[in-house]
Amino acid sequence: MTPSHDDTDRDQYLWDGTGTPDPEVARLETLLAPYRHRAPFVTPTPMSTLPGRAVHPRRRFAVHAAMQIMLAAASLVFVVGAAWFAHAVRPSGWTVQSLAGAPQVAGTTIAAPSRLPVGQVVTTDNTSRARIDVGSIGVVDVEPNSRVRLVTSRAGEHRMALDRGGIRALIWAPPGLFFVNTPAATAVDLGCAYRLQVDDRGWGTVRVETGWVAFEYDGRESFIPRDAMCATRPGFGPGTPCYEDAPHGIVDALTILDFSPTGDVRRKQALDTVLRQSRQRDALTLWHLLSRGTPDERVRVYDRLASLVPPPASATRDTIARGDRRALDDWWSSLGLDSASWWRIWKRKWS
Amino acid sequence: MPDVLRPVELIAEHGADIPVSGPHPPAMRFPAGHAADDGRLVRAARAGDQGAFSSLYERYGRVVHALLLARVARDEVDDLVQDVFLAAWRRLEDLRDPAAFGGWIAMIARNRATDFHRRAAEHVALPENIESPGGASEQAEANAALAAIRGLPEAYRETLMLRLVEGLTGPEIAERTGLTPASVRVNLHRGMKLLRAKLNR
Repeated sequence: MTPSHDDTDRDQYLWDGTGTPDPEVARLETLLAPYRHRAPFVTPTPMSTLPGRAVHPRRRFAVHAAMQIMLAAASLVFVVGAAWFAHAVRPSGWTVQSLAGAPQVAGTTIAAPSRLPVGQVVTTDNTSRARIDVGSIGVVDVEPNSRVRLVTSRAGEHRMALDRGGIRALIWAPPGLFFVNTPAATAVDLGCAYRLQVDDRGWGTVRVETGWVAFEYDGRESFIPRDAMCATRPGFGPGTPCYEDAPHGIVDALTILDFSPTGDVRRKQALDTVLRQSRQRDALTLWHLLSRGTPDERVRVYDRLASLVPPPASATRDTIARGDRRALDDWWSSLGLDSASWWRIWKRKWS
Repeated sequence: MPDVLRPVELIAEHGADIPVSGPHPPAMRFPAGHAADDGRLVRAARAGDQGAFSSLYERYGRVVHALLLARVARDEVDDLVQDVFLAAWRRLEDLRDPAAFGGWIAMIARNRATDFHRRAAEHVALPENIESPGGASEQAEANAALAAIRGLPEAYRETLMLRLVEGLTGPEIAERTGLTPASVRVNLHRGMKLLRAKLNR
């Protein structure tokens, strides 16, 4: 069948809007045009910048300079972005479903996807697993032998507590909207996927798969990027993060440095190990040690880190020994990982 | 005469970073200049240039919106568009071929819509709460038109959403989806034919 002239003309209008308007198409255009996409662009937050990009040493100064210029704007963008998302994410509640076995909500086995009210507990035995939909911002898989509680679910803050066991969280909200309380520290999502384990003593470990997680307790902060881990202990807070592929001995040495009293005789040998074994990639670990331990230990860390990543002008032995935040931030920016400025702004919001 | 051409799906060939189900997508080609621009913008965005990502949003916001509107209730779509672009921003490093951004983000959008339905289906029936600037009859007519489009095969409904809602022309649709102009034309023609039949029933 050969198309008629009218058919051809109608198709032309449907194709590119030229020719004789097809009344039916034109009517639909008029009816549906109000639903056209008009939402403004919401700039991604700076912490959404993917971590771990290698920065060549020769480019570091240029990158650093550019970052300084971008920081102010990026910080503002972060606040605006987070504010937008806080309103955009509706507190639609959390739901729980079984992935295996017979997980329970408030002591009752769930047979079908169920609402998880604030204050209620999800428990799994050694054969059960559950999935929690966290509003519209992510999912949390609860591993066997775990106990988690929903603490808060409202626009701007989604918070759960992991009392024991393990979870894997995949969160796509901007940084600072999803929190996991553990007995030793609070894990703050910075846009990522991670696994969190807490044993019966309250000792915890976070392992980050993508993005970043912050751990905080009583003013002690750790930032953990992709492929890194960090331990926590009640009373101490977060330990020092290190990459999963850290050289032999570093993890054990950090356990001593993080969770032993400053008079422990093992500390010197432990620090020797960390400093001797550290690669340039382990600048992440050394940077955290700059603000921990005794003044003498910090000076030794300073020297080692300076040999791996040249310090910025603001980061002298003196400023670092004094715990000067700007100096620490400047050096962080030189590591080629990410900026710490977002943290300072954001922390004020949630602390 | 029976239709001999099947609808052409709006799936790029480069999107293997995001898992998909279903048949292998048909071969697609983004226009060389357009893809090169995408590649340049993706590389700049990876380096931290948010303006570059804004440009990608300008290019693909309507495409993502249309793909979502073809699957999800109107009042959920704007949030999901933002979700999709946030996810893309975070996972930009995972995109193996920067020039394949268009197909990649389209696939993220489709998966996001599927995920949305998976979560929503067990709990609530989605209301179609469209607030039309026109009167009640126009609102009802718009609702009916959207519902009818959503009832079409996937490739038709996506193409028609892009044409009738987003206001893109056929050549623009081809440029932004990577489909050949001939495929877009086929989808528009056959989709519109089915839509007329549905609306006039």
